[in-house]
Amino acid sequence: MNSFSPVFTQGDFILMLKGAGITFYLTLVSGLFGTILGFLIGWARTVKFAPLYYLLGLYIEVFRTVPLIIQFVLFNSGLAIFGLRIDPFTSGLISLSIYISAYVAEVVRSGIESVPPVTVKAARGLGMTYLQSFRFIVVPVGARSVLPAWTGLMLGLMKDTSLVAVLGATPPELLRASQIIITRIQEPLAILIGAGAFYFIMCHFITVVVNRYEKSWNEKTKVAA
Amino acid sequence: MIIIENVHKSFGKVEVLKGVNLTVEKGEVLCLIGGSGSGKSTLLMCINALETIQSGRITVDGIDVHAPATNRNKLRTKLGIVFQQFNAFPHLTARANVALAPRQVLKTSRVEARDLAEHYLAHVGLGDKLDHFPSQLSGGQQQRLAIARALAMKPDYMLLDEVTSALDPELVGEVLDTLRLLAEEGITIIAVTHEIPFAREVADRVAFFHQGVIHEIGPAKDLISNPQMERTQEFLGKIL
Amino acid sequence: MLDYRFQWRVVFKHWPELLDAAFLTLELTVLSVALGLMIGLVLSVWRRSDNRLLWWFTATWVALARNTPALLQIYLFYFGLGAVSIHMSSYAAVLAAITFNNAGYLTEILRGGMDAISPAQRNAAIGLGMRPVQVYVFVIIPQVLRIVFLPITNQIVWAMMGTSLGMIIGLQELTGMTTFLQSQTFRPFEFYLVAAVIYLIVAESILITARLTARYSFRW
Repeated sequence: MNSFSPVFTQGDFILMLKGAGITFYLTLVSGLFGTILGFLIGWARTVKFAPLYYLLGLYIEVFRTVPLIIQFVLFNSGLAIFGLRIDPFTSGLISLSIYISAYVAEVVRSGIESVPPVTVKAARGLGMTYLQSFRFIVVPVGARSVLPAWTGLMLGLMKDTSLVAVLGATPPELLRASQIIITRIQEPLAILIGAGAFYFIMCHFITVVVNRYEKSWNEKTKVAA
Repeated sequence: MIIIENVHKSFGKVEVLKGVNLTVEKGEVLCLIGGSGSGKSTLLMCINALETIQSGRITVDGIDVHAPATNRNKLRTKLGIVFQQFNAFPHLTARANVALAPRQVLKTSRVEARDLAEHYLAHVGLGDKLDHFPSQLSGGQQQRLAIARALAMKPDYMLLDEVTSALDPELVGEVLDTLRLLAEEGITIIAVTHEIPFAREVADRVAFFHQGVIHEIGPAKDLISNPQMERTQEFLGKIL
Repeated sequence: MLDYRFQWRVVFKHWPELLDAAFLTLELTVLSVALGLMIGLVLSVWRRSDNRLLWWFTATWVALARNTPALLQIYLFYFGLGAVSIHMSSYAAVLAAITFNNAGYLTEILRGGMDAISPAQRNAAIGLGMRPVQVYVFVIIPQVLRIVFLPITNQIVWAMMGTSLGMIIGLQELTGMTTFLQSQTFRPFEFYLVAAVIYLIVAESILITARLTARYSFRW
């Protein structure tokens, strides 16, 4: 690959393609861990235990209010202090997971609370334990009602992966890959539009699909009167 | 037999049950009537421990409902409960709704649970709606679904909390017919209701609730046609 | 384990610079939200118009703003316009991008607020003989304000976080200045922690002020 060519080369294209793959990877992995963590936190907040509620509320508030860039670098430099050596990529991945877990927690909590209390009482009245009623009733019903919001969070996460660049993480995700190429050649517009198209198509497409799925699902199973 | 002795129950500072005493015999149909907020629904939920009590004792077939050592989930399999609305599990078909608890709680096999579901749904007249979702059923059908679901656990007692109050008038009848059927089959029923004519016709006894206690109790036909206490007369006078 | 000596004094020695940078952050936030609101108001009206062109323009703006990363939008203004010989400073690029982004989200917020007011309100007011302008000012807008107040507040906080992206193109708002200072003093953790606390304090102040204002003004 001729790294001094002022023209967009095949190597550049591959770099961007790999970048898209890295974006996917970051989104999927931090989305997965963040959702699991956020689920546990959101669930814990619905249990009637005030200290836990407020403590976790603090966690949520902090990670939703401090800018993501600061979270990245703070976590990264904090690791150094504690003598832990983790490469920037993994550090960014962990930061992203923690960041998104705060948002997921609130969505999960609202989902759990959206299930009519009477329906839960009916399940308990049949002799189901708390865990059984949670697993068979609260989770399925609550999950359906917050699916659009959760999807929105995951799409936002995908856009936020573009900030991992600030840690100098390698391999580069899509936007960093674009930036690398731009500083060399003098055709920024086309590349940025190309990268933008990727994000746009992914987000827009997924949003439309979820909306359509949600509509058809809700016709069948909306909460009965 | 259910024995309720001197039960007091408060929500925060507000005392809702102020010393309720009641004995319910096996096989009888008892209707609880009274104004809103008089504590009737709360009492029902205290019987199966969905609500706690501050003092007093409730025993079901000799088991102290609120004793710490009691396995409440197991106890609840003896007591079927149906609420005013939002009973049905919206994400499951009628058949799945009814089969869920027998399978998970009683550990019935999947096949047996299915047959059980079909049997009880047919029993309440929903035999042709097995694969429908609750949102595709009318209010009255959803209530009957809830009744079938409670019956599938083969409870000894049925607790019904104003099961017709949220329904459009034309749907009330089908539910009452189902309840009439249950009464004829000899299941013990405690029903909170506003349907006074139904109570007079179907119940063995009626208890009138007022300000957190049972103000008057007696044979259904007698109490409703000939109430002895003044408050009871006032209440019935307003309704009938 | 903790083989590190925290040195907070270094941070406080540079307090004036941090404060300046924080003001820059605030300035960018307020400007981008104010401009974004003005644009958003226009766009939200166009969104409900029957004119195909206006409707598509708005829909496209909103879709682009919401479906692409804010950083990409900053790059487009900073690097992208360079291709057509328009050179923006990092300040201008961040302002333009965050404003563009805000406008997109605010349009949807305002539209949601306007849709929530039932037509019956408008009809009742007109039936009482009020002129269209009066209907808007006295009946529609107060109700819309109540619905959109909290989402707009959240958008303000979001915009503040968006300005932190300016650091990547060298702008010395709070995050950028913090990065610069820590690279001079080799105390990244202390500096970034203080920056984080500043952001938290400012954001919480905004949110609490908003909640109090809402409770007082929207008592009905």
